[in-house]
Amino acid sequence: MSLMDHMPILVILFPLTATLLCPLLSHFSMNIAKRIVITALFISVICSVVQLAQVVVSGQAIHYELGGWKVPYGIEFVTDGLNGTVTLLVAVISWTTALFSSPFEKRERGSNTLRSAGYYSMLSFLAVGLLGMSQTGDAFNLYVFMEITAISGYGLIACGEGKGPIAAFRYLLTGTIGASLYLLGVGFLYAATGTLNMSDLAKYMPEVSDSPLIIFSIGCLIIGFGIKMALFPLHGWQPAAHSYAHPAADPMIAGIMIKVPAYAMLRFFFCIFKSTSPVMETFLDVLGIMAVMGVLFGSLKALRYDTYNKILAYSSIGQVGYIAMGFAIGNMYGLLGAVLHIISHAFMKAGLFYTSGALKFRYDIHETTQLGQIYRQMPATSLTMTVCALSMIGLPPFAGFFSKWYLALGAIENGQYGFVAVLIASSLLSAIYFFRVLEKLYMDKKDEKIAENAGRSNKKLELPWQIIVPMLVAVAAVILIGLFNSYIVGEVLKPTMTEVILS
Amino acid sequence: MTEILKSVEYFLADRGIYMLTLVLLAIGIYGMIACSNYMKKLMCMNIMQVSIIFFFLTFGQKEGATIPVLLNDFLSADAYINPVPHALMLTAIVVSLGITGVGLALLMRIKDIYGTIEESEITGKGGNGK
Repeated sequence: MSLMDHMPILVILFPLTATLLCPLLSHFSMNIAKRIVITALFISVICSVVQLAQVVVSGQAIHYELGGWKVPYGIEFVTDGLNGTVTLLVAVISWTTALFSSPFEKRERGSNTLRSAGYYSMLSFLAVGLLGMSQTGDAFNLYVFMEITAISGYGLIACGEGKGPIAAFRYLLTGTIGASLYLLGVGFLYAATGTLNMSDLAKYMPEVSDSPLIIFSIGCLIIGFGIKMALFPLHGWQPAAHSYAHPAADPMIAGIMIKVPAYAMLRFFFCIFKSTSPVMETFLDVLGIMAVMGVLFGSLKALRYDTYNKILAYSSIGQVGYIAMGFAIGNMYGLLGAVLHIISHAFMKAGLFYTSGALKFRYDIHETTQLGQIYRQMPATSLTMTVCALSMIGLPPFAGFFSKWYLALGAIENGQYGFVAVLIASSLLSAIYFFRVLEKLYMDKKDEKIAENAGRSNKKLELPWQIIVPMLVAVAAVILIGLFNSYIVGEVLKPTMTEVILS
Repeated sequence: MTEILKSVEYFLADRGIYMLTLVLLAIGIYGMIACSNYMKKLMCMNIMQVSIIFFFLTFGQKEGATIPVLLNDFLSADAYINPVPHALMLTAIVVSLGITGVGLALLMRIKDIYGTIEESEITGKGGNGK
């Protein structure tokens, strides 16, 4: 086997090595340790691009058997167009977040470098967990990667100032319930079929699809993934965790930590259970109700707050609702919309949290009321905020519009006009809360303290380049996904979806 | 009446152990919701995790089967219990140990910041955050 055949594992191996090396190297030089993590995540971006290109060119999924153990006895990594895209998304946002954290780390670094090293170590460990979750083809392996994600996530949330540790502890309790219920669901599946490999599970599923074990299993999985992706009635941990997490790690936590479980839910529901059995249809209806309530609740609740992070956190609940709505619609367009929304919302939300971090970095701004015409001082930040917010509302050239468009097409095809109404209503609501933020940004009266500050700084750039680059990456991604959505959907996602999911 | 008793007995003999693990799961989740002390919440979380480990181990058992180790003579595959659930649970035990460790570390941070790990006192104080 040549090196090119090992891409699925290399994607994970580099960040994992960096996780272990980082604390060790920090004894000699924190800068080297930091650069090792950033480089490793960049290599992982390259590897995921290569493997996605391999999949798209050959039109076949890559099956990688770990350690040469034959499936279904060993663990395998499967990469197809769907999770190849998710992997690329995770890798890009992890890399930009590691870059983004650099100035924060420099400022916070005291005499003890172990704290900084721990932060970077957890960041790349979070990337390992999320990449593993999207790559693996084994149900139990998914649990292990889910817990890796969760543990490093708890650490990063606890790094935040103020209520960070409390938010992290509460998330730990809730998240463990979610993961345990997932494990219980996998246990029921294993008891019914005797296998843990996902494609093998799918093969045996028609024989046992009426068994009560499967019904219990689907129930446990909905609650388990629902907690992890902060679906409406199970979202209790999310607003605090997303608002109080370390500002530098927040883009990753808010952007992708709730998206990858959503992808895993898609895998389980449409690759393994399929939507053919009558039980599954009932569960999808339940999911639809949860999604609609979540969309409305998130958007309404976001109206109440002036704290920037809280607005973003509650809007995430609504946006996760869109993804679940795509699952509930359950036809080709609905699922395409859900996947496209996983991708586009990850970039939009990461972009918005980059701006939140940038505001905290330069002026220590937490509230939207403090924004007062700050676009004069921070043009790049304002650009990012504007593009991502408009995309969030769903205006046409940007990515957010197209995912909602596919969702609407799917709902109309199924005749579920209620979903279309909810889509439009919540878009209007999000327009209200995001335009309130943009109004403060461009039209509020000037904040004197900030204007005074601006005169004194003679630096060319508004912020260090490590903060500007991630924001511009997010902007570019939101615009490019919007412009090339037909390519992404037609060439990358649709072949996989027809082959694996709706066959 | 005796028939009902008999069916109950049969059910308990057949599925009773699963009911016990379910009760354990329910105790764990109830405790996590009802206790106001964070340390107790963490302990209840452990109870919940143990119940899932029990669940896996129980369905891995088989009556009259032996341990899955190749001793002197090779028996037919039927004569061994399934080792996979045990192997999975070894991993799950390690994971739950890790989670408990992180939880305890967080509790120490909370104790440092707020001076207490009682939920009511922490929310009452509001902390120094916003």
